[in-house]
Amino acid sequence: MTMSLSRLSRLAALAVAVLFTLGALVAPPTAAQEKPRPGGILNWFDYGDPGRLDVHAESPLVVQQATAGIYSGLLHYDPDEPSKVVSDLAERWTVSPDGKTYTFHLRKGVKWHDGQPFTSADVKATFDRVLNPDFKSPKCGASLKPMVASVEAVDAHTVEFKLKFAAAPFIPSIASAWCRVAAKHILTKYGDLNSAEAQVGTGPFKFKKYERGSVVEWEKNPNYFIPGLPYLDGVKQFILVGGPTQLAAAKASKIMLWDTWPPMRKTQAEELARARTDVEVYQASINTLFLVFLNSKKPPFDNADLRRAVNLAIDRQELVAKALEGAGVACAILDPKLAGDFALPLDEVAKAPGCRPKEQDIAEAKKLVEKHHPNGLDIEVAVRQVGNYVDRAQLLLSQLRKIGIRGTLKTHESAAGYAAFGKGDFTIIATQDRAMDITDPSAVFHIAYTTQAGSNYGHYSDPKVDDLADRALRESNRDKRKQLYWELQRYLLAKGDHASIAVGWVEGWFFKDKKLRNYKPGLTVYDNNTFMKTWIAQ
Amino acid sequence: MRAALARFVIGQPLGAAGALVVLALITVALFAPVLAPHGPKDAAFAPYVAPGREFPMGTDQLGRDLLSRVIWGARLSLYVGVVSVMFGITLGAVWGAVTGYLGGAADTGSQRVVDSLMALPPIILALSLMAALGQSVDNVILALVILLTPTAARTIRSVALGVAATPFIEAAQAAGASRTRVIFRHLIPNCMASYIVLVTTNISYAIVVEASLSFIGAGAPPDEPSWGGMLTAGIQALETAPWMVFFPGLAISLAVFGLNLLGDSIRDLTDPRLRGGLG
Repeated sequence: MTMSLSRLSRLAALAVAVLFTLGALVAPPTAAQEKPRPGGILNWFDYGDPGRLDVHAESPLVVQQATAGIYSGLLHYDPDEPSKVVSDLAERWTVSPDGKTYTFHLRKGVKWHDGQPFTSADVKATFDRVLNPDFKSPKCGASLKPMVASVEAVDAHTVEFKLKFAAAPFIPSIASAWCRVAAKHILTKYGDLNSAEAQVGTGPFKFKKYERGSVVEWEKNPNYFIPGLPYLDGVKQFILVGGPTQLAAAKASKIMLWDTWPPMRKTQAEELARARTDVEVYQASINTLFLVFLNSKKPPFDNADLRRAVNLAIDRQELVAKALEGAGVACAILDPKLAGDFALPLDEVAKAPGCRPKEQDIAEAKKLVEKHHPNGLDIEVAVRQVGNYVDRAQLLLSQLRKIGIRGTLKTHESAAGYAAFGKGDFTIIATQDRAMDITDPSAVFHIAYTTQAGSNYGHYSDPKVDDLADRALRESNRDKRKQLYWELQRYLLAKGDHASIAVGWVEGWFFKDKKLRNYKPGLTVYDNNTFMKTWIAQ
Repeated sequence: MRAALARFVIGQPLGAAGALVVLALITVALFAPVLAPHGPKDAAFAPYVAPGREFPMGTDQLGRDLLSRVIWGARLSLYVGVVSVMFGITLGAVWGAVTGYLGGAADTGSQRVVDSLMALPPIILALSLMAALGQSVDNVILALVILLTPTAARTIRSVALGVAATPFIEAAQAAGASRTRVIFRHLIPNCMASYIVLVTTNISYAIVVEASLSFIGAGAPPDEPSWGGMLTAGIQALETAPWMVFFPGLAISLAVFGLNLLGDSIRDLTDPRLRGGLG
């Protein structure tokens, strides 16, 4: 007896369907199938005290993290699909055929936390503020200023951005977590967004409390413009300074999430995994570049030879191996894992001065130092007391001693350090991680290398760097853009006298409590920390 | 000399043990450049190497030889201890002796200053001073001098009051000796026994305060091989590399133990009520 092929297929399909149905009945529910559970407080941490809370005017992660859930952007990265830009306060947007005019159509009926209506005037006030040439906006302003010519409110619910040129990174930049929309009436009332009272947004959470050095708290916004969200009653960010304190809090189950800077090092992750079985520990990149900054406006590093000497002396491989316990990409100005083929191939990077085998570099660097300082040189080395920066600084001191530069450490509390660096009150910053606000390759240059870069702490200016970065930003042809970025990376690596020195891209370990649902890490450390769709299972 | 030494060892065996530890500490501190196999700040090796033949005390999180750091740490601790105590106790002793002898408003006023300084918890005072002065070994010494001076002033003043009431001081005054001569020729030399005891007992105190300040990140700069600073680094890797805490901790304990034993013995020997060991 034979069965026809079609009957066999039908039987097989039926058997598969039965198996799937049975499987679904007996399998435990997955996160996607679970019904979101409202309520609960999410506890996590800030690595330091924010001090000031103006998301437009500051650049430390702690400032953005402390205020993330309070504000909304025109656009943002999708909490469900973190690589995708989706609407937030703008319902939709259109772009002109020449790619130079973007029109955002705003949601209607949105209210600020104080009950005032949200309109296009708020958007205009926000972006006029960050684009003001006299206003120092190291994140949102630094990324938008090169691209945006003007912002106009067409009507109460329509805003138009005129660009200087068709710029590919405009949409990712406008969706950046640093380009949040603030209320015009609040900016008028307080003049800035630094105080806790000025934290009035349209976001899923309201600002509840900020106790300096202790905690930042948000509470649920019951009038959030997306009905049913957020699920959480609130979020608490404990201000935990120093690796041992952070790890102790994690081990004692005081925090549910570690998806922030600084990442855990391998030994810390192993220690946590031994202490807690109710967490998922994972390794990831944090889209952050580890940099050393030299003050090019002050002796001795106003001298190009001495900047070059430091660039040659820094052993990036040792710093990544010891300070990051091997989790990082040494030497790269752009990380191929994050920037794809915009990044110069690593085998080429490895041959650059400062990255190649050290003997030759050390000998050259020594000669450069001896040329100007035959008896060596004594300098003060500044470092913020956060993460394992002090360890990194000690490694750097050890490396600089090999070329006759004797350093003494000057440590700064986190916010005080930023203030000192911003004023140029340093000779050398031993280490400073700079996180990218967008995943576009332009970000790193507008953060650390161009004259107007938000973190150009060394106040270094090189017209060729500015020109190449600008041309790459304007270039719409992908291959040509890639060639421009390669040329820029090659130029920086070969010249070796820039005041911003790339050590490597930081990777590390993170954890989330298994009870935490619908939380997906963002592509940058700044994204997806509003917790608008996150909930806590029983 | 040999007989006196033998009597000291027999009469004060714990003191002799303390002296031996202190002697070892001084030797290690003086000959640190010769004794340390590697530079204390050279991060030239693999991190977290367990104690073994190559690195008897292991390496730290940056790949520095812990033995070398502990040896150089002895030099730093002893330097901070001795210099701060010599300045602090000497300054306090002169202050206490002079104001105690002069009496009146000078004495009352100075004692109120001493009261206010002593009212502040020492570690809080030291922390505030370090926050104001900035992190450096010299500033640790300055903070310790400010901590030690009032204690010495108070102690030596009480001794000076007793000495000032003795007949030989009255005789010097009757013979027309100036105040300066009486204080520096007769009064202070007769307070020396208490001064020596204060010096020996406070070196260990200064070492502990320096280690405590460095432990909480407010003492010597982080790259200096301070025992307290080494403990801080060790705490961060307690499970991975317990030797990073064990050896600097042992060094602090031994140094303080030795100095305290020696200090107690010297006190016993200089106190007439307890004297008898050396005959």
